[in-house]
Amino acid sequence: MIFFTLVALFVLQSGFTYTSATDGVKAAAMLDGRAREGERLYREYNCTACHQFYGLGGYMGPDLTNVATQPGKGPGFARAIILHGTQRMPRLGVTEAEADALVAYLQAVAATGTYPIRHVELTPWGTYPELHRDGR
Amino acid sequence: MAAEPLRIAGRGTASWFLIAGLLALWTGALFGVIGSWQHVVPGVVDAIPFVKSRPLHVSLVVAWIFLGALGGVYHHLPAIAGVPLHAPRLVRVHLGIFIGTGPLVVASYLMGRFGGREYWEFPPVLGIPIALGWSLFMYNFFRTVAKRKGPWPAYLWMWATGVVFFLVTYAEANLYLFPHFSSNMVRELTVQWKAYGALTGSWNMLVYGTSMVVMERITGDTAPARSRTAFLLYALGFTNLLFGWAHHIYPVPSAPWLRLVAYAISMTEWIILARIIRQWRGTLGEGLRQRHSLAHRFLFAGEVWVFLNLGLALLISIPAVNLFTHGTHITVAHAMGSTIGINTTILFASVFLIADAAYDRTVRLGFWLLNGALVLFWLCLIAAGLVKGWLTVTTDLPFQAIMDRARPFIAGFAVAGAGLFAGLSLLVWRAAQGLLVGGMQRIARDAGTFAPGSTTPSSGPPHR
Repeated sequence: MIFFTLVALFVLQSGFTYTSATDGVKAAAMLDGRAREGERLYREYNCTACHQFYGLGGYMGPDLTNVATQPGKGPGFARAIILHGTQRMPRLGVTEAEADALVAYLQAVAATGTYPIRHVELTPWGTYPELHRDGR
Repeated sequence: MAAEPLRIAGRGTASWFLIAGLLALWTGALFGVIGSWQHVVPGVVDAIPFVKSRPLHVSLVVAWIFLGALGGVYHHLPAIAGVPLHAPRLVRVHLGIFIGTGPLVVASYLMGRFGGREYWEFPPVLGIPIALGWSLFMYNFFRTVAKRKGPWPAYLWMWATGVVFFLVTYAEANLYLFPHFSSNMVRELTVQWKAYGALTGSWNMLVYGTSMVVMERITGDTAPARSRTAFLLYALGFTNLLFGWAHHIYPVPSAPWLRLVAYAISMTEWIILARIIRQWRGTLGEGLRQRHSLAHRFLFAGEVWVFLNLGLALLISIPAVNLFTHGTHITVAHAMGSTIGINTTILFASVFLIADAAYDRTVRLGFWLLNGALVLFWLCLIAAGLVKGWLTVTTDLPFQAIMDRARPFIAGFAVAGAGLFAGLSLLVWRAAQGLLVGGMQRIARDAGTFAPGSTTPSSGPPHR
């Protein structure tokens, strides 16, 4: 009985996770054609081996969640590094069109929220009620 | 109880799962060493850059955990069920599929052909044979245990849960292929880590079920795996598998209730397992301890690592602490402590029991080298994570400046990783040798005779 109750709750939670619990992103954060292509390229070049979004990924390189909107960085900065690499990041042979798609993807990711979190309101039991400006 | 002698078909194939797993562990650890030194000396081993060494390391070590657990299940299941495996030929087909797919995955990484998500970066089409092989395993498992009489011990429930939920969560991990998920980055990231959290839970179910079986073999006591505590442990593990995943994604802007549920569930994790192993140890007779000291030593090491990782897991699951530890090497310390300290030591206990290996000088050296280096490795990662987490949250220093401050600890982690690899190499060598030589001789000699419904031998030499 307990087993089947847990499984039923799991199915219910999965349903919410696939829909309402993750549907609050802004329109700018939804991936359109070019950003979708960028998302595919991000996987094809295995960027996640070194980089993170929201702290999730490899730790060789920096987190890229807000790289496309960060003061002093932005789309041009991201595009230059994608195309030419750095002292530590190899030149991957990305084409101009692919770089544009990857930058579009990074811009969409940046519109989803902020990372790292630096200002939160902590509760006495160790949680934080709000992380992002929209209350999520 | 009168016993009908059973021929243990499929046992030789089970050993090959273990040998393939040991090979995956050794190569995976080698790529791990390469990857760790690439953090310290940029450009080292240019032929296999970090973008390749990381997935090679992760996928091969995960393969070891599954192959090690699969080999144990196939080996022990006939004696537990009291009947031969339902379809021994399917075990060979399963092995063939896995052995065939593994090199394709490795080749795709070496050629730089990616396409999957983190941890399964190979082209998604290679997931089809993996799921097919697992389906054969699931069919064989349930058809075999269906013939068993009487209530199931806790380890059978654990195995059954691990078998089913691996397939469920593996399918879920591929939902990103559908536009409903891939068009929304927050949804895709959330579902990815939901699937991975449960996937980790499912392999933990297989490994902890195996640890219960090994302990039952050592003690000859069948009561603990049928006790209320064992089932409470199972229920907690299952609840964590289903709902405890969101502590991986506290900073991701999904609904806050996901974080709250995960926080509450995570706090219950691991505690009962440590308790039950401790209880079992208390029941061990001194003579039995000496007789099976090799497997017991590994289970004891696993118990120590459960305690260490329990503390770390509980701390980093508190959202206020997680703010500083998320996205840092502390997460890696937890992952390494779990996969090496807990999963690998439990699986070594199982493999050495099956291989009937002796606690000789080589194994002793390997055991202490592995555990000693792992302690240093783990502490260096935690220290590096503390530096990175604190400076990331409290300062505006750029990434590279933060990593420069953490560099001494990263170097320590790379040195300790080399020691860890040396220890693993000795253990892998001895375990593979035992399986290849001793196992084959033993199988040819006695072909296995067991009492149905019991995991202990009815007569003759001890069943391992």
